[in-house]
This record gives sequence, structure tokens and C-alpha cells, in this order.
Amino acid sequence: MNRIVAILSVIGLVTACGEGVPDADFIYAAGQEHNHLDPVKMSWSHDIRLAHCLYDTLVVFDFNDFVIRPGAAERWERSDDGLIYTFYIRANARWSNGDPVTAQDYIHAWRRAMLPDFAADYTQLMFYIRGAESFFNWRTEQLKQYAELAKTGSGGHADAAESLWQLTGDEFQDRVGLSAPDDKTLVVRLTQSTPYFLELVAFSIYMPVHAHSVEAATSVNPRTGMRQTRSDYWSSSITNGPYQIAKREFKRYMLLTANDHYWDRAAMKNSRIREDIITNAPTALTAYHAGEVDFLPDMPSAGPIPSDLSRADRPDVHLQKMAGTYFYNFNCQPRLADGRENPLADMRVRRALSMAIDRKTIVKRVTQLNQPIARSYVPVGAIGGYRPPVEDGIAFDPVRARQLLADAGYSDGSNLKGLSILYNTNAYHELSAQAIKSMWQEYLGVVVTLEGEEGKAFSVKLKKQDYTIARAAWFGDYADATTFLEKMTTNDGNNDCRWSNEQFDRLIEQAAFEPDPKQRNQVLASAESILLREAPMALIFQYVNLYLYDPQRLHGLRPNAWNRWRFEQVEVGGKRQ
Amino acid sequence: MLRLIAWRLIQLPLILAIIFVVTFTLVWMIPGNPLDRPDAQRPPPEIEQAMLRQYNLHDPWVFAGSYLQGIFLGSEHYPAPDFGPSLQYQDQRVLQIISAGLPVSVQLGAAALIVALCLGTAAGVIGALWPGSFLDLSSLAMALIGISLPSFVTGSILLVVFAGLLQWFSVVGWGSPQHYVLPAITLGVMPAAYVARFIRLGLADIMSSDYIRTARAKGLSYHHTVFKHALKVAYLPVISFLGPAAAATMTGSFVVEAVFQVPGIGTHFIHGVLHKDQFLILGVVLTYASMLVAFNLIVDIVYAWFDPRIEYAAESR
Repeated sequence: MNRIVAILSVIGLVTACGEGVPDADFIYAAGQEHNHLDPVKMSWSHDIRLAHCLYDTLVVFDFNDFVIRPGAAERWERSDDGLIYTFYIRANARWSNGDPVTAQDYIHAWRRAMLPDFAADYTQLMFYIRGAESFFNWRTEQLKQYAELAKTGSGGHADAAESLWQLTGDEFQDRVGLSAPDDKTLVVRLTQSTPYFLELVAFSIYMPVHAHSVEAATSVNPRTGMRQTRSDYWSSSITNGPYQIAKREFKRYMLLTANDHYWDRAAMKNSRIREDIITNAPTALTAYHAGEVDFLPDMPSAGPIPSDLSRADRPDVHLQKMAGTYFYNFNCQPRLADGRENPLADMRVRRALSMAIDRKTIVKRVTQLNQPIARSYVPVGAIGGYRPPVEDGIAFDPVRARQLLADAGYSDGSNLKGLSILYNTNAYHELSAQAIKSMWQEYLGVVVTLEGEEGKAFSVKLKKQDYTIARAAWFGDYADATTFLEKMTTNDGNNDCRWSNEQFDRLIEQAAFEPDPKQRNQVLASAESILLREAPMALIFQYVNLYLYDPQRLHGLRPNAWNRWRFEQVEVGGKRQ
Repeated sequence: MLRLIAWRLIQLPLILAIIFVVTFTLVWMIPGNPLDRPDAQRPPPEIEQAMLRQYNLHDPWVFAGSYLQGIFLGSEHYPAPDFGPSLQYQDQRVLQIISAGLPVSVQLGAAALIVALCLGTAAGVIGALWPGSFLDLSSLAMALIGISLPSFVTGSILLVVFAGLLQWFSVVGWGSPQHYVLPAITLGVMPAAYVARFIRLGLADIMSSDYIRTARAKGLSYHHTVFKHALKVAYLPVISFLGPAAAATMTGSFVVEAVFQVPGIGTHFIHGVLHKDQFLILGVVLTYASMLVAFNLIVDIVYAWFDPRIEYAAESR
């Protein structure tokens, strides 16, 4: 018996005690752990949400009012031709360690963002700056050569790597249109006039980093010649935004405390934020109802949980239309990956299929949040000053759909063969695909097969154009219609439909040179009209997010279509339950 | 005994090498680019190539070389040997992730084992000594429910009732003992049912054996016989079950970790594969494999301690 007790007590010792979680003024639950804390590499919205707490961009875009406000720069100037921007950084802009924020900090950060060494999804957003793209390509080529030399043994030592880096510094100076006449002035030269450049400057990849400490945490790999910043730097980085990271427990929580050197510290409404990582939505809900968290920004956007909540008529349930569209891509190439002729190359077939989707049923029965039906690609109301041409969008009309299909030579639909819906496996993508399959069968007599794939395999098929119809979504990155429309230009790498229309491409290009914002938006809208008429994709619905917070307790939390928040403006009144 | 330990220790690197090769091959066969996201925009090809090069993902041989170098010798940026970066959580090293998560998984697993042993023993003893009684039937029913209900159901029910409605426990956080209770019960119910079954069968059998009758005839008290002599023998099958059970509770807590927001490494096992996070998968698999081998070794030692006949056999060989 005492041996049993011995075993039990050994096991018991293993179960040692730890500490609890620190308290905070405002607690929210993130739906997943962070993928990056390095602002250059961020691309997930939960990372970007945090980045805005930590780093202050030169200008800040207000996603509720669609205006640019000063950030770390108190003012800025734009040259008449729109090619040169000059930013004047505030005298009282400081890093969390008290150092002044300088133009060099921005140049250093932007150079990092242009290096293939740190390449990330959004690197191309830097290519608006003159010379950035050629600098990126130059460095890529140099690194390739370096790696080759290292392999043969004639290179690949610390000195060679260091001298390549010196050379890179000079090349950057020569090629890239960034300069700092003094510590507080930053001059940016662009490749071409970019009417939404300030929106880009407000985006996470344009955030500054504290040059001195980042440089200290960065070293060159003599084998590859690449620079690498120690990943642990970012969990305790020096910041210039409203907060700094006080404590991080991976997969548990992150505690942010106010950065006392932040230039607008006096206006902050709270001084401690805790972000709890709760991946399981029902658990997050239980925590919210038990009063352990104040705000749930990452609830699932479809299915029974949000549907039940939205029907409950509760003041703390907030539904927000998002700047994101759910749609189906049609492969528009004349031939399919296997060499067969592609029936979807015919616009009438695409329009017919799109017309035979009863979107109301999908948003009611499948996604269950009554999302607004998408009749335009750019979501309505998501972009200030831009009105999508919804009248050109396709609405549910099975009679016309049958007619169109007959015109295209498929009189009874059953001779339209070989189509399948490719989707990444997920409960509601699968149910939507089933619903649409049965609608096409019922209204058109077209039989399609369903092809569910795991995320990675799904991406591979898309890239190889190995599909006929594929589920897709697009979320805007910056508040300009081009964030949606440019994807559909002929040479864009994300144009998965491989749809190509000369007039569309021309209009998008024309918009880039149009100085008048109103006129420009009209040009973009006429481009979108072409897109909607040609139907390279069947638009289904606009995403809706569900947020949970008590408006009586939380003041200053303003939901918007872009999932961007200003947590420093959140005032928490009253006690948690 | 020493020979047994030495033999197992010699086996360990060999087993790990085989597991590494198999896992490495399987991981490279998963389709897709670990750095892309199905729902997000894809960068231009040259940026995508640059992204892959940062992590040596452009070539499996270069990757294997740099990975093994990292494990044994460390790399230029990280001189201490480690498992490389995580591709999914790029500001973390795999070693950091494992060293943060493993103690949690082990603690939770250990707590679940305590639950399993306590509940299982109690139910087993009751069942063996008073078969057919109300207590026995109810413990049987509990065991049946424990085995049949998947842990996400048990866990969710416990969570909603005890953390949500009654608020006896906190939903968020990890560290203080109150966070252990619900997940440990959820995870421990299933092995408890097995323990109960082993003890119930074993004890009933032993209680009718000759030496117990002799002990009773010599005047030993009933309780003394049961707890001092019979239970010890009845525990032997439980001990050999403890090895796999410990491995199962410490490594198989994926669902429980998700339901109770426990920051263990079970979830990385699944997510690593879904995201094709090569570094994380290899790191977690190698860690788990070492743990499994270690547990089997510990069980062998404990078994020999409980049942001296095994040690004699080994020595006389």
C-alpha cells in the first residue's frame, strides 16, 4: 500500500503549482496565438491588431470615418505630381525606452521590409517606393550568388557576408527613394503617383522599429549571407505606440502596459490590457459569460454559435459587415489543367451558374448570420467615397440562367460536364458547396462534383490552376478599391481565375494616374462594372463579424469593416460580473 | 535491472533516428508551401522564393543538413543546439514552444493519472469486495460512461457546469491548482475506467485464492489482507497499464487542451501537421518518441520494484 502512496506522491510532485494571470483594465480574448510579432512579417489580422497597440505609424487611418490622422508624424506634405511625400515627425515622439523616434528608425524599418532576408506576404506593398523593387531583386540575386559560392567553398565566411551587407547598404542608399534631411524629417519618393499611399503608410508593414536594438538583435548568417533578427526580440521589443509588452506567456496571454513615453499618453483611457489566447470558441464564450474577459473580437463568422447569439436580441452582441467577400472562382482559361476544353471560358456559362445560386438560402441556412448578399466584388460601405456598381451585379434568376446556358449550347444542362467545386475543408465551406451543388442541379440540371482539400493541398491546386470552380475569399488590406480590384488584373499573381480583360486593365492603370479622388473612384467603379458583367467569379456574400462586449461597460470601442481597433481609447467602466 | 536500463538507453538513439527519417519523409510529402495561407493573398513568386529560402525550405537536402546541424551543433544565429524556428509561430523557437508546453502537458497528464488511480482504485475495490451492491453498480456505470463519452463532451459539460454556471473554477489561465481540476478529471476518467476494471477483476480473483484464505485463517484482519496483500498483487496489471496510460494522458491531451485552453503541446501535434510546420512536427515527434521510450523504461523499473520475481529472473539470466 505504501508503495502505491509513493507512486502517487511522485506523480503529485510533478504537478507543481504555478502562478495565476495578472489583472488588467481591459481584457480581450484572441482566437489564436500570434504568428508574428515582427511588424514586417505580419499578415494575419490578429497580429496586425496587436501591432497597432505597439507601433505608431507616421499617419493613422481612421477606418470608421475614412480619414487620415496624424500619427508619429505631426504633419506631411505631398508634392504636386504626387511623387514626393515629406513627413515631419513629432518632437515628442519617443520610444518606450525614452529614445526619440527619428526618421532613421523609419528608414531602417522600411529597409528591413524591402529585404528578401525577411521577406513576407506584404513585401510588395513597399514596392510603391522608388527603387524598392529593384533593390529587392538586386539583393535576391546577390544572395543567390552568395549561396552558390558558399556551396562551392570559395565563399560563405563571416567576412564575405559582412562585406555583402556593406555593399547592400550602399546599394540601398543609391537605389531607394528614402532620405532623412534631419532626424525628424523623412522624404519618400514614389515610383508613380499612388493616390492611396498614405493608407499604405498606415499599414503594419510601414511600422517603425527601434533601429538600435533591432540591429543589436540582428546578425548575418555566413552560410546564406542573409540577415536574421533573433525571434525572441519581438516578445520584449522597444515600441513607440501606446503600449509595450510587459509579459508574454506563449499560448496563454500577453500583458500590455502603457508606454509612458508615447506622445499621446495623456489621451489614453487605460493603462493595462491583457490579451488571453482562447482558441476554442465555446470556451471563449464561457469565459466571457463568467466575466473573465471583456471583449470577444474573434468569434466564428458562421455556424450555430454566432447564429444563436445574433438571434438572442442581446445588447452586447454586435454584428459588423466586413471588408471581405466570399465567392467562387471560375477558371477562365480556354483549356483546363488536363488539356480539356473549358466550358467556363464562355462568359454565358459563368453568368448562368452565378445566376442559379440562391444566395439568400445560403446566408440563412448555412452561414446563418444573414450576411448581406454580395452583388459587387468590393463590399458596399467598406471604402470611403467608393460606390460599387451593384446594379451590374448578378442576382438570383433561374429562368434567365437556363436561357443563358441554352444560348451557350447546353440546352438541358446535363451536357455541361466535368465541373467540380474545390474547397478547403471547413464545416461551412463544405455545407455551402453542397447547397450550391444542389441548386445547380435543381435549377440548371448541371451536375458537379465536390472536391474538399486540406488548406495546403487546396492552395497547391489553385496555384496550378488545377480546378474548374473554387471557393475563395478576399479581404481588403488598405482602404482603397484597388486593394480588391488589382487582384483581377491580367498579370496579378492572385488572379486565380486567370481572367483577363484589356479594358479592365486599362481602367485600373488609368485610375493610378487620376489625381482627382472622385473621378478616380468613378474610373475604378467602371472597371468593376466590367468585372461584374463578365462574372469571372460568382459573388456570394459579404463577410459579417460578430463581436461581443457590453456597450454599457466598454466605451470607445468602435467596430469597423476592417477589424482595426484603437484599444487605447477603450474606457472600461464598472466591475466585471 | 542495470542491464535492462542500459539496453533501453542503447536502443533510444536508434529508435529516434528511425522515427526522424520516417517523419522527415512524411513531412516533405505533405503538399503545399508551409508559409502560405489558403485564404490570404499570395506574394509574387520571387518573394515566395525568398520566404522559403529564409528557412532552407527550397530544398529538402539543404533543410535536412541545416536541421541536423541545428539539433546537434546549433546554428549561426542560435549557437545552442535547438529544433529550429516554428514556421507557424515565427517569433518562437520550437525548443521554446516545447519547453513551455511540455511541463504543462506532463503536469496535466500526471494530474490525470492521479485522478485515474484514485477513482479507478476506489471503484475497483468496491466492485471486487461488494459485487452487485449499489456502489458497485454506480461505479460500473461511471466506468462505462467514462469509456464511452469522448473527452470533448465530458470536458464541455464539466466546463459549462463548474466553470460557467457554478463558477467554482476559472475558465481562463493555467498555473494555479484550480486550473488543473477539470481538465485532469476529463482526461483521467477514461484511464480510471480501465484501472477500475483491472482491479475489480484482479482483486476478486485474488480474494478467493489460497494464500489469502491462509492469511485470513492465520488471523489477519480483513482490511489488512485486502490492502496489504491482495491489492498489491491486483495492482500489477495496473502498473503495466500505467506506461501507455501515462504516455496517452501526457501526449494525447489535444482535445482537453483545446476545450480548457491548456497551453500544452498536444495541440501543436495536430496544428503542426495542418500547417505543414516542418520544424514543429519534427521537434514534437522527437520529443514524444523520447518520452514514450522513457515511460516504458520507468514502468519496467517500477514493475520490478513491485514484483521482485522479475528482478530475480533478469539476474539469473
